[in-house]
Amino acid sequence: MYRKTGLALRISLLVLSSITAIFSVVFLYNYIFSRQIIQTNIERNAESLTLSTIHKIDGVLGAVERAPRNLAIFLEELSYGDGELIELIKAVVQSNPDIYGATIAFEPFKYSPNARTFAPYYCKKKGGIEFTYIPYDYFGWDWYQLPKELEAPVWTEPYFDEGAGGIIMATFSVPFYRKIGSERVLTGIVTADISLSWLQEIISSVKISDTGYGFLISRNGTFITHPDPQLVMNETIFSVAETKEDQSMRELGRKMINGSSGYASFTSLLTGKKCWMRYTPLPTSGWSLAVLFPQDELMADITRLNRTVISIGLAGFFIILLVIVLIARSITRPLKGLSVAAGHIAKGDLDAEIPEVKNRDEVADLADSFRFMKASLKKYIADLKETTAAKERIESELKIAHDIQMSILPKTFPPFPDRYEFELYAMIEPAREVGGDLYDFFFLDETNLCFAIGDVSGKGVPASLFMAVTRTLIKTKATQGLEPGKLLTRVNQDLCVDNDAMMFVTLFLGILDVRTGELQYSNAGHNPPYILGHSGETRAVKEKGGAALGVMEDCEYRSHNVIMRPGETLFLYTDGVTEAADAAQNLFSDQRLVTELSLNGNKPVRDIVSSLMARVKAFSHEVEQTDDITMLVIRYRG
Amino acid sequence: METAKRKEKTFTILSVSGRLDAITSSELEKELSAMIAGGEKSLILDFEALDYISSAGLRCILAAAKKLREKQGTLRLACLKGVVKEVFDISGFDSVIPCFNTAGGAVEG
Repeated sequence: MYRKTGLALRISLLVLSSITAIFSVVFLYNYIFSRQIIQTNIERNAESLTLSTIHKIDGVLGAVERAPRNLAIFLEELSYGDGELIELIKAVVQSNPDIYGATIAFEPFKYSPNARTFAPYYCKKKGGIEFTYIPYDYFGWDWYQLPKELEAPVWTEPYFDEGAGGIIMATFSVPFYRKIGSERVLTGIVTADISLSWLQEIISSVKISDTGYGFLISRNGTFITHPDPQLVMNETIFSVAETKEDQSMRELGRKMINGSSGYASFTSLLTGKKCWMRYTPLPTSGWSLAVLFPQDELMADITRLNRTVISIGLAGFFIILLVIVLIARSITRPLKGLSVAAGHIAKGDLDAEIPEVKNRDEVADLADSFRFMKASLKKYIADLKETTAAKERIESELKIAHDIQMSILPKTFPPFPDRYEFELYAMIEPAREVGGDLYDFFFLDETNLCFAIGDVSGKGVPASLFMAVTRTLIKTKATQGLEPGKLLTRVNQDLCVDNDAMMFVTLFLGILDVRTGELQYSNAGHNPPYILGHSGETRAVKEKGGAALGVMEDCEYRSHNVIMRPGETLFLYTDGVTEAADAAQNLFSDQRLVTELSLNGNKPVRDIVSSLMARVKAFSHEVEQTDDITMLVIRYRG
Repeated sequence: METAKRKEKTFTILSVSGRLDAITSSELEKELSAMIAGGEKSLILDFEALDYISSAGLRCILAAAKKLREKQGTLRLACLKGVVKEVFDISGFDSVIPCFNTAGGAVEG
């Protein structure tokens, strides 16, 4: 559907959509690039954070390992007494702040044939050191059985030590041997315990942002430390994955206990937030340390930055919108004014006020052009009114001239109702302009009828004046009783005087004796008339009297005679008849005239004229009549 | 109406073609006046290709003849045919202005 959209709206739409596109690209690039930088920074931080934590833990664990290892070597090589052994253990616990407790547990009956179990145990409690013998049958416990079977030092999985330590701990156990003959025989296990609360402390010191944290899992996936105490020793990463039906978490757990390190995305078990996780194994114990970075908190800066950038962008957008609307308004307001004014002018109100435009810009030029156009139109219309008035005056004067011209020709038919010797009919069909055709007839005396038909060269007022002069001259000279030739010679002499315009008139003048039918005539360059007989025959009255009147001053015109028999008809015409043209410029011609006359020769005189007129009109229909058409018909009855 | 000018001996021959009616006659009148004012004294109008002449056309030829006569010049007509010949014949103008069958004949006189 077509909708009219304003200039302001279109400019705003175009500019703002371009700006929006540019801004979006800049914003997107900025967002992606800064996100990458932060990601890189996080990875670098995570790397160093986990490594430093691992070093811290491994440093402690390594120190913890050293004591039982040394003790094992000592026990293998040297002999020892009861008191010495217990003092050694006490020294180990006392001198190593990281060791929670330590024991030397002997194989059955290896310390004394009287005792199946012998395991003196020191541990830190209530700020001091407590001594006890491990009260239970320890041979089936991991801390005892694993190094025995593996014949190598080993860290146990964390466990709760009921009888002796009474806390959650992990134990480093080293087997020691004594030589009996040439054989090395397993004699016992030296252990050092570490409290897991201590580990918990180290790992909880890992602080990332607000809710980031670290946790440690053992070789089988048990949570050793975790900010959520419910999980510690109770759950494994696999059991949690099972509960959550999280396949990716299970995969991750498998990777972690296999000693891999890497990055993964991980949902915090504390907050449920999306986190990045760095996981790395501890080389000493084979445990795995994980450090979690909450995404949203690390991205808080970039999110804030983005929010600021978008706000600035939106503010800029609205400022630009405002500026564009203002500019567009300043352009379109005067344009609207101009448009309204132009509408008024178009409706003809030339006094409509063209609004002033303040800025000197293209719109102001347009307004100036409008003002100029208005002034020009006003002047043009004023001129036109004047010209039209003048033209109307001339036209009305021409109309009057035409009316006068027509009024001087006799137009009452029959003209002599009391004369039965002849019938007479004449007709003039003027062209649009005032023309120069004329006809006339009058009695010179009782028996002689004088008549004339003529055609003045050219048209308009000069032609009609020349025609009036000619007619007057004929009438004046005719009363002097001259024969036609002499009469025309006189008229010609008068017309030639001061005829600088070279006007001329072709004229046929005849004098008919209505008693005898004798026709005297003289033809001054006019079309020869025809005499129509009873039975359709026509003959031209050909004899010439001289050239057209007004051409040569010293021309002598000749008279000729012809006898009209009763019933014959004389047909006179001007070249308006024979030179009437059709659309293809073909002329009506003498030939068509003669044919028509031979067909209509017996009709009443009035009908001869009207039927011929109809034929000429039919011939030249659609073409404007350019010349006067005049006919004069006289039928002699005798 | 169109005209073409050529020289033959002392005469300037102006060939007029087309129709000489009220409008085109005034064009021809201007052209003839300019030629006569420019000193032309021996003029032949060749009507070989003229199809029609109105009374206004006759008047302009008559005016040219009169102007030339005042300057002791000559105007001759050549190759009148058909309707044009008829008009000159009827109006008696052929007795006022000398007419010739060919342009060559008009030059020879």
